[in-house]
Amino acid sequence: MIYLENIHVTFNAGTPLETRAVKGIDLTINEGEFVTVIGSNGSGKSTTLNTLSGDISASKGKVLIGDQDVTKWSVSKRAGLISRVFQDPLIGSCENLSIEENMALAWHRGQKFRFVSALNDKNREVFKKQLARLGLGLENRLGDKMGLLSGGQRQAISLLMSSLQPAKILLLDEHTAALDPKTAAFVLDLTNQIIQENKLTTLMVTHSMQQALEVGTRTIMLHEGKIVFDVSGDERKGLTVRDLLDLFKQNQQGQELSDDSLLLS
Amino acid sequence: MSSIAAFGALESGLIFALVAFGVFFSFRILNFPDLTVDGSFPMGAAISAVLIVSGMNPWLATLAAFGGGMLAGIVTALMNVKLKILNLLASILTMIALYSINLRIMGKPNVALLGENTVLSPTDDWSIPYYTSTPIVFGVIVLVVFFILLWFLNSQPGLAMRATGANARMAASQGINTDRMIIIGMAVSNGLVAVAGSLFAQSAGSADITMGVGVIVIGLASVIGGEAVMSTKTIMLALLACIVGSILYRFAIALALNADFIGLKAQDLNLVTAVLVAFAIVAPRLKSNIMARIKA
Repeated sequence: MIYLENIHVTFNAGTPLETRAVKGIDLTINEGEFVTVIGSNGSGKSTTLNTLSGDISASKGKVLIGDQDVTKWSVSKRAGLISRVFQDPLIGSCENLSIEENMALAWHRGQKFRFVSALNDKNREVFKKQLARLGLGLENRLGDKMGLLSGGQRQAISLLMSSLQPAKILLLDEHTAALDPKTAAFVLDLTNQIIQENKLTTLMVTHSMQQALEVGTRTIMLHEGKIVFDVSGDERKGLTVRDLLDLFKQNQQGQELSDDSLLLS
Repeated sequence: MSSIAAFGALESGLIFALVAFGVFFSFRILNFPDLTVDGSFPMGAAISAVLIVSGMNPWLATLAAFGGGMLAGIVTALMNVKLKILNLLASILTMIALYSINLRIMGKPNVALLGENTVLSPTDDWSIPYYTSTPIVFGVIVLVVFFILLWFLNSQPGLAMRATGANARMAASQGINTDRMIIIGMAVSNGLVAVAGSLFAQSAGSADITMGVGVIVIGLASVIGGEAVMSTKTIMLALLACIVGSILYRFAIALALNADFIGLKAQDLNLVTAVLVAFAIVAPRLKSNIMARIKA
């Protein structure tokens, strides 16, 4: 289980540029849940995800993964518990390293280093098998540099990489946003497959209401640093984008959602 | 060029291959522009010269130089990762500080090693001239270091170090402690450079406080030159390129200074170096431009 307890994040505290990005978020994610998070720009959804990953440290509040309080842990220390796919395919993998080397890094995520070769027949075999399922012919290009691949290919590999080591939670940060619609659909499909196969607890931030409803078991909407609504189970079944907008209006005393990108994408 | 001059070029090429390995670690693997080497090279020379004069086994003295160089690299890395000083500036600060420290180590501006027992002393008994035996000894050392580095960079921690330099954010998200990787990498880098300084002093017969000036440029020239003349697709090729680049650089310098018709003299060494480095940096782009024009 993942707990975010009364999380507050303030940027540039005490300066004229002070921004309160997250204002008291409480969130419990149960094992096996697939939570999709929506919200307009500046709603605090990426900040929330980054607080969980350790990239941003909360000004107030606690982060617990399982029964461990990880609030003060660095990104690399949390990596044993968290796997992650970034929005930018260029950040999620090393372009100067080969495909198999990138995968070897993920293969050892959060493990103690041993002075043995990072690549061996055993993990190469696993990498090949994983790559083969993409149907992109990448299983024959293990030694190619990551930089030679397209953004979609790199994102697909990032997803495979995120499942090579078990994790308490998988974080997806608008991981299809930088892709063309066709590739985005392919990557989203792969996401669903991998999550179901490995029964991963997942938090996915997305910009698209449609996508937030299409996948996952629970949807949360953030607005101005707070959770506006949180739907799951039967309540969530059959919801449309229209319903979400109404839900938003209800909870915001008639305020209309003004971010077109939420509706259009 | 006489054969003695050629063997001389080979000898210094092999010594500076170790510097090139060090520069490859900092500039290429870690993406850390490190000028500490101008201080750690004479530091290695100073440490081993003083220890050899005091009667220590020359191999142990060389090992001590490695340790000293590692310390210098660690200081630079700590200033960068813990105190958040810009990497280039941190390395310049260490380099400047090392000038004083090296004077302290030697107690005077230079220490002579003539007649002392060095790693090259056993070769006096060989039935080949000194100018061929020295490159053999250094060649073996460079090969040993080459295989150790090759093994390390393909190991789990070595791959983690490469990821740290290539994409620190990704590395951290894969559980790699990037600060620690930078510290270890910089230690290895400067340790190697200090060993080069130690060997240089032992073959030249003295350690001198000024011998570090421009070492970084020579190291960079070797790395960049190697990359310009051969493919560096794999780690093995990239390490080989360091050796090739370093030896080529020495031959280019020797040729330039020995070709009477150009009229260059020993004092033009640094000028030639600067021109060679600039050329090596521009050469790959020139090549691709020309290729593009031929195809078009």
